[in-house]
Order: sequence, then C-alpha cells, then structure tokens
Amino acid sequence: MKKTLFALLMVLAFVLAACGGAPAPAEEAPAAEEAPAAEEAPAEEEAPAVEEAPAAEPVELVLGSWRADDVDAWDVILAKFNEEHPEISVKFDPTSPVDYDTTLRTQLETGSAPDLFFVRSFATGLDLFEQGFVASMKDLPGIHDNFNAGALAPWSTADGEPFAVPIAAVSHGIYYNQDLFEANGIAVPQTWEELLAAAQTLKDAGVIPFSNGTKDAWDINEVVMMTIIPNNIGGMDGRMAYLNGERCFNDADMVAAYTQIQDLAPFLPADFTATDYYTSEQLFVQGQAAMYFDGSWSITPVEKDAPDFNWSVFAAPPAEGKDQYISFHMDAAIGMNAATENAEAAQTFLEWLATEEFGEAFGNGVPGFFPVSNNVPTLTDPVANEFLSFNSKAAGTDIRFVWEKLMAQPDGFASPYTVMNDGVIAVLKGEQTPQEAADSLQEAIATWYEPAQNCGN
Amino acid sequence: MIKNLKKYFSENGIWLLFVMPALLIYLVFMAAPLLDSMRLSFYTGKGYTPTEFVGFKNYVDLFTNPLWRERFLGALKNTIIFFSIHMIIQNSLGLFFANLLSAEFKGRNFFRTVIFAPATLSVLITGFLWTLILNPYWGAINQSLKAIGLDSWAKPWLGDEHLALPVISLTSVWQWVGMPTVLFLAGLLGISDEILEAARVDGASNWHIFWKIKFPLLKPVIGVVAILTFVDNFNAFDVIFAMAGAKGEPGYSTDLLATFFYRTGIAGEHPAGIPNMGMGAAIATLIFIILMVGVLLWLYSSRKNEELA
Repeated sequence: MKKTLFALLMVLAFVLAACGGAPAPAEEAPAAEEAPAAEEAPAEEEAPAVEEAPAAEPVELVLGSWRADDVDAWDVILAKFNEEHPEISVKFDPTSPVDYDTTLRTQLETGSAPDLFFVRSFATGLDLFEQGFVASMKDLPGIHDNFNAGALAPWSTADGEPFAVPIAAVSHGIYYNQDLFEANGIAVPQTWEELLAAAQTLKDAGVIPFSNGTKDAWDINEVVMMTIIPNNIGGMDGRMAYLNGERCFNDADMVAAYTQIQDLAPFLPADFTATDYYTSEQLFVQGQAAMYFDGSWSITPVEKDAPDFNWSVFAAPPAEGKDQYISFHMDAAIGMNAATENAEAAQTFLEWLATEEFGEAFGNGVPGFFPVSNNVPTLTDPVANEFLSFNSKAAGTDIRFVWEKLMAQPDGFASPYTVMNDGVIAVLKGEQTPQEAADSLQEAIATWYEPAQNCGN
Repeated sequence: MIKNLKKYFSENGIWLLFVMPALLIYLVFMAAPLLDSMRLSFYTGKGYTPTEFVGFKNYVDLFTNPLWRERFLGALKNTIIFFSIHMIIQNSLGLFFANLLSAEFKGRNFFRTVIFAPATLSVLITGFLWTLILNPYWGAINQSLKAIGLDSWAKPWLGDEHLALPVISLTSVWQWVGMPTVLFLAGLLGISDEILEAARVDGASNWHIFWKIKFPLLKPVIGVVAILTFVDNFNAFDVIFAMAGAKGEPGYSTDLLATFFYRTGIAGEHPAGIPNMGMGAAIATLIFIILMVGVLLWLYSSRKNEELA
C-alpha cells in the first residue's frame, strides 16, 4: 500500500514537473510583454511633444496580408512610408489567400499575430472584432473625414463603430481579346443579348467564348454570378429590398440572374467542370478563349503573362431595357491587432493610409485595387482606368450580393453564398432549372433569416 | 530518497521508469487534447474555444438537420469508397509487387527503390503534379489519348462527379503502394527457404506455393497492412485538399470526413471563413469512434486467430 502510494506520488511529481515546465514561460511571457509597455508608457505621454524629434526609438511593425502576389509592390509602398516616418519600418508578411483566414485566426488565438493585418469585409472581419482581436478605429484621427460611410460600412459594427481602415475596392468585368473581336467583326456588347450573339459568333469560329469553369467552385459564383446579379435586380436598392424582406430570393429578377447563368452554359469550355481558376486565365492569355469574367485584381497576372494580342475589359451588359449596375466591391482594409505593443506606431501607419501618397503608391503599385479614401489619386494603368470608367457610365455600383448579411449563417454552415454557388453549378450542368435554384436559395435563407420568412408582403 | 527509489524500482520492475517518459508525452500531447476535443463537442460558440454548453445538440444536428446530415453521410460514404479503393487495389498491388520483387533478378534493388520513391514525396507536390497531368487542356493523359485518336476517352477527370473520387484515390494508391509492398516483402523474405524448397521437391507449382504457403504465412502482415490502411485512409485529408480543395469538389463528390471536419471546425466555409469549432469537434469525435471500433474489431479478431493457432 505504502509502495503504491509512493508510486502515485512519483507519477504526480513527474506530471507536475512536466506541466510546471510548460506554464512557467507562459507566465513569464505576459510579464515580458508588460515590461516594455511599462517603459513605453511615459514615452507615449511625451510622444505628441517629441513626435518630430529624430531620436525616437525605431519600431518595426509587421503587416499580415492575403496578397502574396503583391510583395514587390508593397515593398515600394512601405519604403515610401518609411521615408516619411524614418522611425517606423513596416514589414510585409503575406500568407496565401486560401490559407489566410485560418492562419490569421490561429495567430490571433495564440498571441502571435502581426501588429497590423488585412481584414476581410463584413462577417469575417466583424467576427474577429467582436472577439476582441481587432482594435477599434473610432478614435483614429480623421477616419470619418477621409472615408465616406459607404467605404467604412463593411468594417463597421451595426452602430457604426469602425474597426479597420479601408484600403481597396475591386471591380468586376469581362476581359476580352480585342484582336479576336475584330477578326470576327464583333463590337463591345451593350446588352446581354448582344453578348450572347457575340459568344455564338465566336463559338462558330472555333474559339471558346468564355473560359470560366467550376473546378474552383467560387469562381463562377464570385466573378460571374455576383457580376451579373446587380444588372438583374437593380443594384443596391434592389439588394436592400431582398435584405429587408420586401422581395423574396426566388422572385423573377433572381430567376433572371440564374437564367443568364444558364445562357452562358453552352459558351463555357466543353470541360468547364475540370477548368480551375488558373486554367481559365491561361486559356484567355493563350488566345484559346476570347473572353472571361474576372475581377480587376487579375490585371497584374494577365499583364505579367503578356499576351501577344490586344486586350481590355468591358462591363457585364444588362438585359435589353434594364439599367447597368457595376459590382464594385469593398475588398480590403487594414486593422490593428488589439494586443500589439506598438499601438502608437501602428496608428501612425493607419492614418497614413488615408493620404493621397498612399493611394497613389497603392493604386499604381497594384493596378486593379482601387484606393477608397476621399483623397483620390490619379491612376496610370489603362485597364485599371477602363474598370474605373464603368462606374461613371453605369446607373450605380454595389458590393457583391451576399456579402453584407448573407455571407455566413449562424451555424457557420450552408451559407447563402454556398447555396447560391451550388445552385449556379447545378444550373450550368443542367441539373436544376433557374427557378429551382432560386427556390432552394429562398428556402435555405428562410430557415434562419427572418426578413426572408415573410418576404414579398 | 534515492535509495528508496532504487529499492522501489528493483522490487517493482524497472520497466515503469522507462515507460514513464513516453507515457507522459502520450498523456499530455495525445490523450489530453483528445479528451478536450471530446469535451468541446458539447459546446458551441465563436472562435477556437467555444464556451456555451449545448449537450448533444451538435450530434443531434449532425444526424437530423438535413443540411448537415447530407454532408456528413456524403463524406462518410466517400471515405468508405476512398478506403476501399486503397484496401483492394493498393494492397493487392502491393502483394503482387512484393511477390515479384522477392524473386532473384537483375535490377531488383532498382525496382525496389522505384516502387517506394513516390512515398517519399510530399502529397502536396504529387497532388499538384497529378492535377497538371489530369488537366483537360494541356495534361499529359488527355493529350496522349487525343494523339492516338481516343478523343472520347479524354474525360474531365477531376471535374466529373463520378470520376473524381476514384481518380484521386488511384493517384494516392500510386503514391503509397510502396508501403504495403515493403511490408509484404519483409514478410515474404522472412519465410524460410526450406519450406519453399520442400514444397518444390514435392512438386508444388508457383501458384500453389503462393496460395498454400506464402499467403497463409503472410496473414499477420496482411492484418497489420489492413489496419494501417484503415487508420490512414479514414483520416485522409491532404490528397483531397491538394487536388480538390477543402470543399471536396466537384459537388462534394470527393468530400471526406477529414475535409468535412476541416471545413467545419478549422477553416470555416468560404468566403466567410468563420469556423464552428464545437461541430468540428463533434465530427472529429465521430471519426475517432469509427477508427476505435475498427481497431478494436481487428484486435479482437487477431487475438482470436492467435488463440486458434
């Protein structure tokens, strides 16, 4: 008995030793974090007075992002910031887009997240803010002067408290091969009917009209369906009518959007089910396809592949007799880690994001991402300007249809986005009619979204 | 104290001391997280540490809410298919190759290396390579089929709901066939030459030798290979993630339990990316239960066999 007890004590001792080893550094960690903070505290008070002093201690900030493609451009942008603020250097530390949200969430949960990071719009960003990972921006000087309410909304709470500084909007459109259009005597289509006629001409000529596919399911939903929805439902006002329950998600306009998807089916590649996002861009760049739906963010990749033909973009045309609306989507903002030790330096950087210098360096460094502060810069890239020109010619612009309230559902499952995505693919494959797909969307949303339960009254 | 310890261990078996480090590592890094994950499956809430206790709600939803049930049963079915293809094709090929490679011939070591080589590569790399090979436009397979006039055989391999899962399973078989081959080879080389020679003297054909002598003697190895295949493939994630994405495209036809778990509990659905950790933990617990039942059945049957022998 005594021996057993002793053995148990030994085991306990080992366990405690093992556990004791782990928490000890963890306990030290906050202490270590506090120490510099405590030292900084007086400095913070003095800061306003000595801001111009060159002797300020150098700070290095890390900026997390999902734009792994834009490292070169960001190095230039951040060097520009460093010129103006020599005491602060910012390191760009991107993750690949598909892994970004998971990586950032893990970093935030474990306390290893960067000081500043890109924040996704609406539900994704709001979730991080509500969990206390992202600092509030309500006291950032000038935030309401430099950005209009529309730009701030995707990164604000329901009562309008902003939690990130918007940096970029993206536009949607159709990339087209001007040489192929000319060779086949096609003018830029002004209506959906003209677009389909052009596609038929191209198909008859042995060219793939549109190279989009469904192997990466999001492509057909995000850059095709979300691009044509505003034309069908009447832009932002139309979307609001769905959100507040005046319209049902299977009304005639929504069915019309699914019908346009059905219209496109014969003009996609024969193997569209096995065509991924990268392949569809390559089919266009190689001249095998005459058009493809994509976002303005693809300007740089297409320019890099340097197609040996003339190309440009045009806006998705509305059906005959309908007004044109552009999917101009608020895409990226930068937020501050609520737990950063360098809050002051980080705020200096965030304030700089509203300046024209940043807008110019960013808008021209990564063409296709449009700066959204009120200090509008002049852009040089011709295709980027072509995209921008859609906005002034159209009846209005709007963000992507599901983003504001329908991107996620409370269970974190079968979101309207996913139901719409699955429906679009089913329509393309001929497995569902446009009406059936719209019905399933209405049904899925009505399971949890109250305005949709008594819609149409 | 030290004296007492010495005395204690010399009396009770020094083995305890040797087992302790591994046991502790196992308890702290394996058993504790596993139990904690089971605890999480009874909670719901935001982020990676849900706090609201909901009892069995996650499990009830998984089996009764049609949206969850459809995905869960679909993933279960796909996982069984994925496992069966490995069990039948990978392991039969492994046995076949092992039998060939156990014979004496020139270049034997070269082929032994070749058959194992793919297993040393990262799944993300082989997955990416196969995605290129299977690309409908410039992939080697469809190009070759078209070049010899078999245009109608050139399919959208990874885009067809009926083909994608078998095709991805076969690329995984290609990569991992070296594992059972090596295990079977070791088993075959362990069979005494005397028995085989005696059989030959008695006039047994190669066919007879294989089925009447080698195969029965390989039974323990076959058991080990089977259980390894079971555990590896019911947990499989990487090859699907690399070739069909976390959503198990096209149309969830390649969605396995592990990708379903990842999408639900870790990554969240595109584009919101907000995970439901409680539900994820419930799925993980169910995967664990399936694996445990399988392994226990195997242990039970193998013990029974030993008793019979």
